[in-house]
Amino acid sequence: MSEKLTKVEFTNLDKVLYSDLKITKSQVIEYYINMAPKMLSVLSDRPIVLTRFPNGIDKEGFYEKDAPAGTPQWVKTFRRYSETAKREINYIVCNDVDTLIWLANLAALEIHMILCKVDSYEIPDLAVFDLDPKPPADTNEVTEVAVLLKEKLESLDLKSYVKTSGKKGLHILLPIIRGYTFKQTREFVQKIGEHLKDQTQLVVTERSEANTQGKVYVDYVQNSHGRTMICPYSLRATPHATVSMPLEWSDIKKGLNPEDFNLFNVTKIPGNPWEGMMENRQKLEES
Amino acid sequence: MSEEGKIRPRKGSIWSGTITIGLVNVPVKLHTMIFDKSVTFKFLHKTDGSPLKYQKVCIKEDKVIPWEDIVKGYEIRKNEFVVFTNEDLKAARPESDQRIRIDKFIDYFSIDPVYFDRSYILAPDKNSDAYSLLLTALEKMGKAGVGRITLRTKEYPILVHPYNGALVLTTLRYAYEVADPRKLEEIKELKEPKKEELDLAKKIVADLSGEFDITEYKDTFRQKVEELVQKKTKGEKIIVEKPVKEEARELMVALQETLKQLKKK
Repeated sequence: MSEKLTKVEFTNLDKVLYSDLKITKSQVIEYYINMAPKMLSVLSDRPIVLTRFPNGIDKEGFYEKDAPAGTPQWVKTFRRYSETAKREINYIVCNDVDTLIWLANLAALEIHMILCKVDSYEIPDLAVFDLDPKPPADTNEVTEVAVLLKEKLESLDLKSYVKTSGKKGLHILLPIIRGYTFKQTREFVQKIGEHLKDQTQLVVTERSEANTQGKVYVDYVQNSHGRTMICPYSLRATPHATVSMPLEWSDIKKGLNPEDFNLFNVTKIPGNPWEGMMENRQKLEES
Repeated sequence: MSEEGKIRPRKGSIWSGTITIGLVNVPVKLHTMIFDKSVTFKFLHKTDGSPLKYQKVCIKEDKVIPWEDIVKGYEIRKNEFVVFTNEDLKAARPESDQRIRIDKFIDYFSIDPVYFDRSYILAPDKNSDAYSLLLTALEKMGKAGVGRITLRTKEYPILVHPYNGALVLTTLRYAYEVADPRKLEEIKELKEPKKEELDLAKKIVADLSGEFDITEYKDTFRQKVEELVQKKTKGEKIIVEKPVKEEARELMVALQETLKQLKKK
């Protein structure tokens, strides 16, 4: 039966990729198989970028933008000039379970996605607020800023979606109608970020201030051509095998611990707070 | 010369035709004579032991190119090519006419071995009378025939000479394939040695004179590797890991459920 179910040829299934928890590649593949239905709705038709850890997370991983040599013919790719890389990149596109499993078999623990679809590479369909705490600020401070942000967006009639980054930060996303440029989404996110700055001393918005201790950096530059964001439900290369976890806004409060969401329990959490997100495209009204 | 370590030639011939000397024809077959026994290794992927394959990758597009999209380029200047199709080349290539043409006979020892390329065993085909006659004549006179052969698609200068009771064909290098050592600066300006030194050197050479026996020489690297292989196969075994279907059974259950779930949508 197995031969017909997937085109992927598994290799090194027993390789331990997360040494602390003794998680093998087999478990990583199983995780991605289980998460496929939830992941594919967001991941489909997007150029993606991988961080691969063929020797586990203790050894340095590598960022892979191009479909690697030996990419099977059935894996979809998308060739486009990247502003950030200053060259043509042959991106992988993950539209089905087979490709997702294939990525897992490559030990691509982290799957990063570009904020636009292949059919309109210049035009973003997501605006992202990347909230990143600088110690001693922690996830608690980020949740505080995130809730302010959500309220601000609600006041503009915008429904936002939130996920953990899988590390300390949070990502807040707005699915948008296609037609804006990256410059427009970037300026929109920047403007909202500056508005938050007026509301709380916690926020900084400029790269030069990004490392200010105790602040939450709202990275608007993320909304640029070729930039990527960790994809929802992607694993992270952290000792606890954390996951970039989509959450309900009601979960975003003090005490939220991003490490609570990991390879073992995420598959057992029912529902998908991001259900229908990609069908809810919104206009970025003047704020 | 000791016969130890010699290998039995393969039964199958790689070519058959006739040696033509004027109007005389000697039907012959060609058998492989030289077997390269260098130690070779296959490249494997360090992390999973799987053999690696070579692919033709376009430098510009960084993409694997299928055979049908590959043509040949003759580099006229750096990065400047004249393109040839298979048809172009086929028309230009000499056709193998199943003939070894002997142009003349020379003293075998008058040829320097730098021109020797690769040797093949010549065996009689069907009738061995003419073969035996040619072999015996060459042996008695210490001569070798010089001529041409087209093997596959390349024409070679060749030598037909007796060796160990048989005729052997040795392909030769073209003159332009062999570098002239006298063009090296260090060799151009060699001084005449002093007489006393030369006498001493000649004495050393005379003392060390002996009979040539190739079997005195062994490839020590090959021997070491073979020893290591013995050890490794006993203990630390390197097995090429093939995708094992059984191992993936749990994954397949998960996959089956996921596929069902996706189908429902």
